[in-house]
Amino acid sequence: MSVRQALLGLLAGGARHGYELRAAYEGRLVPQGRLNIGQVYTTLERLERDGLVQHERVVGTDGHGRDRKVYALTPEGHAELHTWLAEPSPVRLDLRNEVFLKIVLARRIEGVDARGVVDRERRAAFERLHEVTQARARAEDASLEDDLLLDLAALRLQAFLKWLDHCEEKLS
Amino acid sequence: MRQAKGAAVDVVGLTKVFGEGETRVEALRGIDMTIAPGEFVAVMGASGSGKSTLLHVIGGLEPPTDGDVRIDGRSLRELNDDELTVLRRRRIGFVFQAFNLLQVLTAAENVALPLVIDGVAESEAHARARAALDRVALADRSAHLPGELSGGEQQRVAIARAVVTNPVLLLVDEPTGNLDSRTGEKVMALLRSLADDHGQTVLMVTHDAGDAAMADRLARLRDGVVADEQSLPAGRDAHELLGEDLS
Ligand SMILES: Nc1ncnc2c1ncn2[C@@H]1O[C@H](COP(=O)(O)OP(=O)(O)OP(=O)(O)O)[C@@H](O)[C@H]1O
Ligand SMILES: [Mg+2]
Repeated sequence: MSVRQALLGLLAGGARHGYELRAAYEGRLVPQGRLNIGQVYTTLERLERDGLVQHERVVGTDGHGRDRKVYALTPEGHAELHTWLAEPSPVRLDLRNEVFLKIVLARRIEGVDARGVVDRERRAAFERLHEVTQARARAEDASLEDDLLLDLAALRLQAFLKWLDHCEEKLS
Repeated sequence: MRQAKGAAVDVVGLTKVFGEGETRVEALRGIDMTIAPGEFVAVMGASGSGKSTLLHVIGGLEPPTDGDVRIDGRSLRELNDDELTVLRRRRIGFVFQAFNLLQVLTAAENVALPLVIDGVAESEAHARARAALDRVALADRSAHLPGELSGGEQQRVAIARAVVTNPVLLLVDEPTGNLDSRTGEKVMALLRSLADDHGQTVLMVTHDAGDAAMADRLARLRDGVVADEQSLPAGRDAHELLGEDLS
């Protein structure tokens, strides 16, 4: 996940300072994303060096009477953001998979049943899918963002369960 | 014989054999299953594993070869043909993949039909049909013919018809098989709300993992036996789920 692009995108909504950017990033833009304030400032400094953002010092506004840097996009920053939005992201196959690793190793190791691995993973995935499905059903007042994320979670889990069925078939 | 107290459905050592000799098929090979009132249970399994057969035998549409089914404490084995007919008509609701609505009757008339056949007075039958259509959020389509309804709406009418008798048990076979995924989700949400809001006991067969995950419990059939069973515990809300750190 590109912190750089996320910050450019957040700044497109108006000038902000570092802590605001971090809060918005960790809120709903990058779910489960964690960003320390150091990363925010290093990224902003790099963006500034590249001419994509600029800052203005606002006197005594940080709650302790100290100055605060408020960042804004430059025209070049706008252009970079729009170029990024306009091109497709790299399509990653995301094949680093712990369950695949377990299945492969289980087949090699004496006394371990690969199908047992599949069964247990399936049960765990179904518990997860139940949780997501229930959350979707209950979250009538969910924001569009939350709704879309729950869809992503549910559909990924369904694909994973389908893959486990294939594993079972092909292992037998 | 073991008998679960207060169960809506109790299946004990159930077997079902079709045909003889070369054509002999053991569709069910010893199924034990107890469903509590208000519970929503999903049955999954490969094609031919016996899912539909299980529903048909539980619903009294096919006699068991061996073992027993108790609905609300009453053994199907103890019922004569007339009593079995009454059980199917009043105590059990069926919903199948093909909606099986009569094309010449309106939605309301289709829903009222089980009551009319059962001799319920017409005015009462229609009032109850309207209430059932209301439960599936189709009150405004009462006068439509099935051909004038979308697939999802037809399935909801079929569900209204299945619950209009206030059955002990709703048997559902592949309810979303003929529907696109969005429409299917609405049908599933409806089944879930029947269990949650009206205490309806539901036994549903499905191939769809997303549909199965709506249930409280999941049974997996393999070659006519329950190979695996799992309860699906109530989960966290959307906010907790999305905020969780998976790293
Ligand atoms: N009326 C019948 N006469 C003979 N054999 C039957 C009959 N009904 C089902 N069978 C056989 O019993 C087995 C189980 O069938 P069943 O319809 O219960 O499977 P299923 O799990 O519902 O499959 P699907 O997912 O394809 O609907 C199959 O081998 C089928 O051919
Ligand atoms: Mg079937």
